[in-house]
Amino acid sequence: MKKNNIEGWLFVSPLVIWISLIILVPIYIAFELSLFNVKIIGTSGKFVGIDNYIKLFGKSKFLNASLNSFYWIIGNAICQTFFAFTIALTINYKFPGKKIMANWIILSFIIPTVVVVVIWKLMLSSSSGVINSVLIDIGLLDEATGFFSSPNKAFISLVLINSWRWSPFLALIILSGLNSINREMYDASKVDGANFVQQFLFITFPNLKSVLFVLGLVGTLLSFNIFDIIWLITKGGPSSATTTLPLLIYETAFTKFRISQAATLSIVTSFLLLLFSIIFIKSMAPKEDD
Amino acid sequence: MIKENNIKLLFLSLSLLLIILIFFFPFFWIITSSFKSPEEIIATSTTIIPRSFTLEHYNKILFNSDFFIYLKNSLIVSFSSMVISIILSVSAAYGLHKLKFYGNKFVEYSLLVTYAFPGVILLVPIYLLFAKVNLLNSYFALIIVNVLFATPFAVWMLKAFFKLIPNEIEEAAYIDGASRYVVISKIIVPLAAPGIASVSIFCFIISWTEYLFASILISGDDLKTLPVGLAGIVGQYQIDWGFLLSGAVLASLPVILLFVFIGKYFVSGLTEGAVK
Repeated sequence: MKKNNIEGWLFVSPLVIWISLIILVPIYIAFELSLFNVKIIGTSGKFVGIDNYIKLFGKSKFLNASLNSFYWIIGNAICQTFFAFTIALTINYKFPGKKIMANWIILSFIIPTVVVVVIWKLMLSSSSGVINSVLIDIGLLDEATGFFSSPNKAFISLVLINSWRWSPFLALIILSGLNSINREMYDASKVDGANFVQQFLFITFPNLKSVLFVLGLVGTLLSFNIFDIIWLITKGGPSSATTTLPLLIYETAFTKFRISQAATLSIVTSFLLLLFSIIFIKSMAPKEDD
Repeated sequence: MIKENNIKLLFLSLSLLLIILIFFFPFFWIITSSFKSPEEIIATSTTIIPRSFTLEHYNKILFNSDFFIYLKNSLIVSFSSMVISIILSVSAAYGLHKLKFYGNKFVEYSLLVTYAFPGVILLVPIYLLFAKVNLLNSYFALIIVNVLFATPFAVWMLKAFFKLIPNEIEEAAYIDGASRYVVISKIIVPLAAPGIASVSIFCFIISWTEYLFASILISGDDLKTLPVGLAGIVGQYQIDWGFLLSGAVLASLPVILLFVFIGKYFVSGLTEGAVK
């Protein structure tokens, strides 16, 4: 096809300009700030060079938050893959009410995150939560437990709540991949005597490559960026166990009022995410046929 | 053969049960709880079927709180963000889909990676930038940010919908002497209407649910959005559960209503068009 340089750029430029302005200008501001020691917003600080960066890597808070972010991404990836595939493979079958379920499964994604927080704070409440009473009734618990009271329980509860919000949306995207697989492949494999586990491993999974590529990239970045669910439920506690990098940045800027430190954190984090994206795209991008 | 079908049926029923319990029951729970008496909501012994019925929480939130101010703000911000996002992404998606130009792959991947930058990483510098240009405490501050969050995925989805439109229809129009503008407004947009509808819902939802930036960029009570208003109640030491639950139900209602009417386009758009 012949190249259409001017017209092509004309069509994409309004969006490209909008996005670059809102990303590049703030990144520049953040970079500039990271070289000074500004504390409260609006005040000026003195030039300190790369001091903020050097200090950052010695801080146990930064290392703790990076580790938490790492566990957060892994935990969410495992849970969401499990839930999303369960939903997608289930809805892919014919059963009465399938249409209604396919349309409404996404409910947890379309409601505000604050509502997600309200739902699970009520359901998991230690004094009157329905989950506690059910677990006691069926004998799994002796007495009501606080799901956000110990570091491990709080972390796992938050991973599950966040997966609850995102899995249905991911399931629909996986479903779109499933729909594009040629039905005849399943029939042919049946003739050859394949059972449904083998069908999943050798037909379904390989054919979902391009979907899984996008989910792997965007899903990881989106998980990383989660802020409101964690902040509104645990504020990063107990004892910083749920403080991921986004929470650390927020805390540093808006409760500790160390703007330059927060800016330094933002720059380092952006760099890490960009590095991850480039490596991911270079190594995993599916080859295009055209 | 029969044995394998039985196993399949067992798996199917088990996972259906699991999905209903995990993904639908919580909604039943907060909706029914929002009509319970305050004592029943916080009672230690829970029963699945409600024992009391009251409208007092709804009465309080509708007639004795800032609910309608927050609702108005959320509607204005979400609707404007949606319209702007759609215009920008239809144009960009068409350019990326139809016109091969120098750097199109770069633009496409950059859009995907744009997800790397949103969220809290941009929060501090955007706050400072908006403070400098006097945009804090305005609808436009939130609209600018929401468009940034919504458009990368919107372009990606729209491109898939445009691919479903047969090339011949467009070619025929050019032969009849139609201009690019006519082709887009009279052929591409009408034919991709279900796709555009589903992308619009997506953009609306992104703005409707946004909390972080709305909580930082807006400080005046008269400009707060629903999520920020609700979060204010969540953060209180003594939570008024009835008040909070009725607020949560009401804050979800507009997106749910929207979904009742055009939700099926969204779901079929996601499941049939998105990745081809």
